[in-house]
Amino acid sequence: MNMIARIAFRNIMRHKRRTITSAITIAVGIWFYTFMDSVMAGLDRGGIDNMIELTTSAVKVHTSAYQEDKEAFPLDHGIRNMRKLRKLLSGNPRIAGIAPRTRFIGQLSNYTEEIPVIGTVIDPDLDSSVFSLVSYLEGDYFSAGSSREIILGKDLAEEMGVDIGGYITLYALTRYESRNADEFKVAGVLKTTDPELNRSSVMISYAAANEFLDLEGLVTEANVGLMRRVNLKDMKNDARKVKERIETTFPGLEPSTFMELAAGFLELAKSKRAFGVVFLLILLVIAAVGIFNSVLMSVYERIREVGVLRAHGMKSGEVSAMFVLEGFMTGVLGSIFGLVLGIATNLVLVTYGYPIDKIAGDVVVDGFPVWGTIYGEWNSATMVFLFFFGIAVATVAGIIPARKAGKMEVTHALRFV
Amino acid sequence: MALLELQEITKTFQKGEREVHALRGIDLLVDKGEFLAIVGPSGSGKTTLLNIVGCLDTPSGGNIVYNGGDLGAMNERELSGYRKKNIAFIFQSYNLIPVLTVQENVELPLVIEKTQSKNEMTRRSLEIIDTVGLKGMADRLPRELSGGQEQRVAIARALVKNPLVVLADEPTANLDSHTAEDIMSVMEKMNRDLNTTFIFSTHDKMVQEHAKRVIMLHDGQVSSDERKQT
Repeated sequence: MNMIARIAFRNIMRHKRRTITSAITIAVGIWFYTFMDSVMAGLDRGGIDNMIELTTSAVKVHTSAYQEDKEAFPLDHGIRNMRKLRKLLSGNPRIAGIAPRTRFIGQLSNYTEEIPVIGTVIDPDLDSSVFSLVSYLEGDYFSAGSSREIILGKDLAEEMGVDIGGYITLYALTRYESRNADEFKVAGVLKTTDPELNRSSVMISYAAANEFLDLEGLVTEANVGLMRRVNLKDMKNDARKVKERIETTFPGLEPSTFMELAAGFLELAKSKRAFGVVFLLILLVIAAVGIFNSVLMSVYERIREVGVLRAHGMKSGEVSAMFVLEGFMTGVLGSIFGLVLGIATNLVLVTYGYPIDKIAGDVVVDGFPVWGTIYGEWNSATMVFLFFFGIAVATVAGIIPARKAGKMEVTHALRFV
Repeated sequence: MALLELQEITKTFQKGEREVHALRGIDLLVDKGEFLAIVGPSGSGKTTLLNIVGCLDTPSGGNIVYNGGDLGAMNERELSGYRKKNIAFIFQSYNLIPVLTVQENVELPLVIEKTQSKNEMTRRSLEIIDTVGLKGMADRLPRELSGGQEQRVAIARALVKNPLVVLADEPTANLDSHTAEDIMSVMEKMNRDLNTTFIFSTHDKMVQEHAKRVIMLHDGQVSSDERKQT
C-alpha cells in the first residue's frame, strides 16, 4: 500500500472513536434517507396498488369511439374482439387476468329518494382476477344463477337506507335507449377507505345486465391485471409493453396504462422526492461539519508529524492528500455502514412491510387512500447515488483542513507543542 | 573543498513591531565527516542556524554553499528537493510517526525520495536498523520502544538515505544520562564508519565532550570555534 494511504488508514484506525463517530454521522444520514425513500415510495406504491386493484387496473382498454364520448358512458361502442384480445395476451406470463366491464348511467331509488349513479357491470368470476373488491366486501359476492343482485358502496347503501339482503330499485337506459327499472337484492356492500368507491359504487353482474340493459354481452371496457412486481419501474414497463402490444394489434382500441390514468398522483410523488433530496442535503451538511472538525482535529494533533514529513521532503500536496484520504476513508466507512443498514432495513420493509392503517390510521396520500400492509421499495439508483455522495461529502469536508496542513511552515510545525 | 560553507548568514524575524536579529553574520566552514556541536544559551540562534543549514528556513542575508553549489538561488521547491536528497534530521522528541513500525519509519525518507525499489528499501532499512542496535525490533511500533530506542530509530531514519549531513537538534535532551551516552556512541560510530557529517545543537555537556568541534554561539554570532585533538 502506498505510504500516504497507509499512514491515513492507520490514523483513522488509531482514532477509532473519532472515526466511528464521524462515520456514524454519515451512515445515519444515508440510512435515514434510504429508509424514508423506501417508506415514501412504499406509501406511493400503496396508493398506486390500491388504485390499480380497485379502479384503474394496470391497463384499461376502450374503443377509440368510446373514448371520444366517454363522459356519456355510451352503450354503443363495445369491444367486439374481446376473445382475440384475451388470446393475444394469454401467452404473457405477467398478465394476472383480463376483466370485462361496462359502465352505464342509472338512478337508484328507495321510493322516497332517487340518486343518479354510474353503474358498473362486472363479470363476477373474471373481475376478481384483476380487481380485489371481494377483500373489502361485507355480505356476499354475486351468487351463481341469481341475476337480480347488486353490490353498493357502504355510504351509498346507508344513504339509501338499505342493508345487506334488502332491496333497492335501479333505473337505467338500456342499450337501445328505452327506460328500464327493476328491483335488486343488495348482496353486499363495499367498505373501502376510498370514499369515492364507498359513496358511488353500484355493481351488477353481466347475467343481470344482459337482460336489464339489453347488453347482449356488450363490453365497453377491458381491464388488464398484471402480476405485482416488487419494483414499480418493472410494473410500469410491463404495462407499457401490454399497451404497445394492444395498440399494434388492434388499431381500433385505445389502451391506457395506470401511469396515464394516475398521472397526477405520480407527478406529485416525483415532486415529493425532490423535497426529500433537500432533506438529505441538510443531513449530509451536518455530517460534513463533523468530518471537517474531525480532520481539523487530526491536523492539529499531528502538526509535528506534518513537520517531520515535510522536513524529509514530502511535498505539501502529498501531506494534504494524506488528510483528504482520511476524510475519504471515513466517508467510505460511513457510506458502507449506512448502505448496509439501509439495505437491511429495506429488506425488512420490502419483505414484511408495515401495517400502515394500524400504525397511522387512515392515510391519504395526495388524495388517494392508502391502507393495509405497505411494502418498502428498492431504489438501487438512490442507494448507489447515496453511497458516492456520502464519500464525496466526507472527502470535500476534509479538503480545507488538509490544505491547511499542507501549507504549514516546516519550522513552525516542528516547533509546535 | 568544504562540504558546507556559510557566508555572512543573517536572519531577522519580525515580532510585532520589533525586529529580532537571530543571526548576525555567521561565517562557517564544515568539512565532510565532521562531528560538530553548536552550543550556546537559549535564544543564541542555534536552532535558527540549524534550520537554515537544513534548508528548512531561508536566511535574510548571506550565502549557503553545499559542495561548491550556492543554495541562495534556489526557490522553496528546489530547496525541498535538495533537502530530501542530502539532508537528514534527528529531533529532540524523536518525532517518529506513531502509526508506522520501526522499519516503516526508517524507510520513510526512501519512500519519499522514490528512487529505490521496494526490495532495496527493505534491505537498506533492515541493515541500518541492525547497525543502530535494534535488530529484531523492525516490526515494533514506537509506543513499544523506550526513549533511547526511539532515538536510535530516529538515527537510523536519518542515516538510511546516506545523507551529506545529519542535523540533530538537542538529540539527547529527552534522555537519561546513560541512554544519552549510549546514543552519542551510536552517532559517533556512524560518523566513524560511514564518514557522515553530524551537526548538533545542544546544551548537554556530555554531547560537547563527544564532539570533535564545538562552535559557541552568542547573540546570533560565533563567539568561539574550538577543534579538539583526535
